[in-house]
Amino acid sequence: MENNRAPRGLVVDLITPLKHGAIDGKGLERLLEQVIPHAQALLLASPRHGEGESMGLAMRRELLKKIGETLNGRPISLFVWISGNTEAQTRENILALQEDFEAGRHFWVDTPLAYHSNRGLSDYYRELQGMVKAPLILHNDPNCVHATRAFKRRNIRTAVLKELVQIEGIAGLIFSGSLERAHHYQRACRGRQDFRIYDGDEKRFLEHPSMGGVVSVGANLAPGAWEMITQSSIQLHAHRENYPDRLQQIWESGDYLKNMVALYGRTPTAMIKTILSDMNIIETPEMLQSAEIEADGVKALKTLMDDFD
Amino acid sequence: MLIEQAKEVLQIEAQSILGLMEQIGPTFSETVSIILRAKGRVILTGMGKSGLVARKISATLNSTGTKSFFLHPAEAIHGDLGMATPDDVVLAISNSGHTVEINKILPMLKQMEVKIISLTGGLDSPMAHQSDLVIDVGVEREACPLGLAPTASTTAALAMGDALAVVLLKSRHFSKKDFRRFHPGGSLGERLSLKIRDIMATDDHVPMVPMGTGIPQAIIEINEKKMGATVVVGRDHKLAGIVSDGDLRRALTRGDDIYLKNVEDIMSDVPKTIDEDATSAEAIALMELNAITHLIIVDTHQKVKGMVHLHDLLGREGFRVNGE
Repeated sequence: MENNRAPRGLVVDLITPLKHGAIDGKGLERLLEQVIPHAQALLLASPRHGEGESMGLAMRRELLKKIGETLNGRPISLFVWISGNTEAQTRENILALQEDFEAGRHFWVDTPLAYHSNRGLSDYYRELQGMVKAPLILHNDPNCVHATRAFKRRNIRTAVLKELVQIEGIAGLIFSGSLERAHHYQRACRGRQDFRIYDGDEKRFLEHPSMGGVVSVGANLAPGAWEMITQSSIQLHAHRENYPDRLQQIWESGDYLKNMVALYGRTPTAMIKTILSDMNIIETPEMLQSAEIEADGVKALKTLMDDFD
Repeated sequence: MLIEQAKEVLQIEAQSILGLMEQIGPTFSETVSIILRAKGRVILTGMGKSGLVARKISATLNSTGTKSFFLHPAEAIHGDLGMATPDDVVLAISNSGHTVEINKILPMLKQMEVKIISLTGGLDSPMAHQSDLVIDVGVEREACPLGLAPTASTTAALAMGDALAVVLLKSRHFSKKDFRRFHPGGSLGERLSLKIRDIMATDDHVPMVPMGTGIPQAIIEINEKKMGATVVVGRDHKLAGIVSDGDLRRALTRGDDIYLKNVEDIMSDVPKTIDEDATSAEAIALMELNAITHLIIVDTHQKVKGMVHLHDLLGREGFRVNGE
């Protein structure tokens, strides 16, 4: 683990283009061309928007292989979701993906509460650290807890996180939850200056941005606007060009993204895939598990995008 | 909803300050040592909102005993850099550490061998790299959406500046008296609104002698009560006159043998009086008008109730220059 420091900025929660139950290679290529120039990192096979929860190991490997080919050494960090339904399955995922993914700047993203309770979590990660070759990023999302086992808590406990932050191989946290919990977590992580906390909730980031950055599914559709807002919010490069017009652009882009998040609200993956498919970026809006979308919502989202252009 | 939003902002800003407690460390102590050892001044610099924070920190340092001034980075490039000397210490403020104007002047300041200390959240920024010391004022979250205006980050920088000023103040053993010396405006303004009854000398504190008292006895009274004058009273403690240091000097200048004289020989027999409900400001105006430094407070029967000196009006502790 040469460089444990995770990047600050925009992490695109990449949707997984599919065609006839397999990875849509051409669509993936076009999608990557659209988002890569604007992002600091890509989150691949994420549990919800990347459909990682429904994706088998073989498909994950195929996805990573195709992404590796398309990137061809381009400098962007890759966050790869590796959680399984059990500790054993998670280990198996890591070992298999590590074989394909030896080189490059990548981080394994793990949602511990998808398969493990808070109890003994730091011991588990200390053990895991011995076998992983890339840094880990924790993922806390109360909506991604184990579906069949009734864990007492839906979030990583602050005290547990404080222990986890001491583990060198853990580089950051993608966080969704209340602002109050965000404060507790931030306090727990203060001992590590290089530890990144990303907002996993786009809406929260648009209101009160975390200085680590944001994980955004909307950036599949509007990567330029998300780049502008992320850079402005966390002062990534302290841009001041075209001032004060730039301020107006930021305001307008911010409004656009807020409206966009509100429109794709409940079924973002399905709606985004439908629009990307209509834009001929991906071949089909196919999903591993079908989801119903509101035609009116898609229409409104398209109108919003057309008007903004 | 509005209240909730406001609370969220305050919560974020409070957290940003609390976060500094974890970040503060040896660099801070070293900064204090450098400033204490510096023979010159502390130069604050910053652009935009950080510039406003820098101005405030500079003002706080000045009023707490550390000489400081604000240097606008853009003006510095156009000549103001000449205000800096190698004896000075620069405190540069930028949340990102990428502020172009600051990064342009730092190499020149470095060439002048001025110590540069950054207050920034950009620990890996060009500004941090050019600094001798970096104080981490990074925050985890801003309260303002879209980065339209820095909020929690400027609050954090401001708070760190206050921490620095207070620690320097304590290290210099800066006293209440010193503070008043740097705040004549504030303390004076406060005193000028006070009522005469709240600050006048009363009872035994009023220097007072009866008619017929010899001058040597009057001088003893003036010395004991330390007001530079004594009231002269007639029957029933009614005001008859005043003998001031000035009256004694004038008598001596005339060649009078004051040791053989009584108070009524040299006293001013129409002393100026003021109502006890008047303000200090009114008293000062009256003193200025009559070129005097004392006023006497009497009741409706002309009985002496008190006396006030110019120094009492201005703040005896800070302004008294004799008689202590």
